[in-house]
Amino acid sequence: MRYPHRLMALTVFAGMATAVSAQPVAKTATVSKAWKQPLTPWGDPDLQGVWPSTSMLQTPMERDPKLGARAVLNDQEVAQKAARDKQFHQLETGNASGIVPLAAGWFDYGKSNRQASLVVDPPDGRIPPLTAEAQAREAARKKHWNEKKDSPDTWLDLTTWDRCITLGPVGSVMPFAYNNGQQIIQGPGYVVFRNEMIHEARVIPVDGRPHASPAIRSWMGDSRGHWEGNTLVVDTTNFNGQVFIGSQGGGFGDSGAVATDQLHLVERFTRVDDSTINYEVTIEDPQTWTKPWKIAMPLRREADYDYIYEYACHEGNIFMHDALAGARADEKKAAEAAAQKGAN
Amino acid sequence: MSPHLLRTLSGSFLTVLWLTTASGQTAAAKIPRMAGGKPDLNGIWQSLSTANWDLQDHSAYAGPMWEMGAITAVPAGQGVVEGGSIPYLPAAAEKRKQNFANRRTADPEAKCYLPGIPRAAYLPYPFQIVDSNKDILFVYEFATASRQVNMGKPREAGSDSWMGMSNGHWEGDTLVVDVTGLNGKAWLDRAGDFSSDGLHVVERYTLMDQDHIAYEATLEDPKIFARPWKMHLTLYRIVDKGSQLLEFKCIPFAEELLYGEFRKKTGK
Repeated sequence: MRYPHRLMALTVFAGMATAVSAQPVAKTATVSKAWKQPLTPWGDPDLQGVWPSTSMLQTPMERDPKLGARAVLNDQEVAQKAARDKQFHQLETGNASGIVPLAAGWFDYGKSNRQASLVVDPPDGRIPPLTAEAQAREAARKKHWNEKKDSPDTWLDLTTWDRCITLGPVGSVMPFAYNNGQQIIQGPGYVVFRNEMIHEARVIPVDGRPHASPAIRSWMGDSRGHWEGNTLVVDTTNFNGQVFIGSQGGGFGDSGAVATDQLHLVERFTRVDDSTINYEVTIEDPQTWTKPWKIAMPLRREADYDYIYEYACHEGNIFMHDALAGARADEKKAAEAAAQKGAN
Repeated sequence: MSPHLLRTLSGSFLTVLWLTTASGQTAAAKIPRMAGGKPDLNGIWQSLSTANWDLQDHSAYAGPMWEMGAITAVPAGQGVVEGGSIPYLPAAAEKRKQNFANRRTADPEAKCYLPGIPRAAYLPYPFQIVDSNKDILFVYEFATASRQVNMGKPREAGSDSWMGMSNGHWEGDTLVVDVTGLNGKAWLDRAGDFSSDGLHVVERYTLMDQDHIAYEATLEDPKIFARPWKMHLTLYRIVDKGSQLLEFKCIPFAEELLYGEFRKKTGK
């Protein structure tokens, strides 16, 4: 348990199951009739504000296969979930012996809700099968990860999250135990989607210009937006072929895979009331998945979450130093022990 | 009325008079404005100064890596510091010399660390101002840095950070940004100029015409500087058609520098 990121991931499983209250079913794209979409002074729908993904923390990326095509949990399932969650609750608050887990009071826990999975298409809520080529690629990646994660030869053996590079445009939005802030700021001709996790700021032109040259590749891709009614539609291409797309950063057996440079995302942002933006992203990469798939979830405004603080991940990345220095120290110790044995 | 204020006012008056005479209309009419009437700072901007090499007046000199020849050599530059030199306290002047000697590996820019304020304004990378009808966002190409300038109620810095807490307000047509909560770990340039966590920066952004911003920063840090001092430089609008901010996630370019000694060496 040397690695903070991984420790967090383990704790999250507990957090994901912690019940707060059962909320009614998340609103779908139906816009409330009483509410009117405000406009910016230059006439675009005004989506500005901080819209954390925290409220969806307890919804898994992929649906429990037992639920089949049912996207919404029923009363009984919600009650069962609440009961199951109860036993984890003391992990957050500390148990009778006074033992409080790592970083209690720091993590976000979200609210219980009835959405059965973040993946909404295919209808079974499961990420579609990988292509044959991607199966081999992912198997090799996971094998390498498992071999090297506890004793990395180089930083390249660790995830882009461990390295504080990025979680990519999808992972940066997905709910996690911390840093769920998502902010939208607009200027004439531009929308900026800013993610707290690692710190991202995608400046999205909405002025009808074409994508940048395909020779220009990047981690977050090249985004172009346009308005369909009050919905902001963002088309993103030009990826560098190294971005993990799925629940998180690509370690710990997360759902998802590293996409190729053929990755194409279409995101839709629809504000449905004063405090909710329905967010969805359609993920397409014919070299990785056998068909396109879609994640959808509401991003909900929170009264006390109205500012994105700096996450200087790389600047404080003690983990990377310790993981590599530790691995070399272990090797040195093993070599010395072997030499000692040989001498005897 | 204090003599100082009187002098300032008459200076402004003379400037307006001169601009009126020179162009036949006031300068104020020529800058782009937002719907509310405030100057419109939206755009992609970049400094063309040598400030990021060295804030002060300097001759050309060799770079820290002879292997790169002229490519990493430093161009001569006219400084951006008002009065010519940074008023370091004696101990800080010594530290600056050490920083200069160690600059190849010690400059946070080399490590791909967040650039801090004011350095973000004159890095040799563009940045974009997204001036909304609410807050103003600065997005810097370098290291995907960004910062929100709060235009509403000022926020207190919760804790120190690389980019600090920015609270802005308008003084006439000038955007004034008060930056506190800076951790002082960012350097001010590649020559080792620096500050501490006592740094307080006040930036002033004034559109001179459609494509130029007069940038001024006042730096106050009683632990490092004998008195507050100012820098002045010009930010140029990137006017090329279709230009956009691109991605410079530089961590992969800095990992060998940062962690190379701990990489497993093969082929003994």
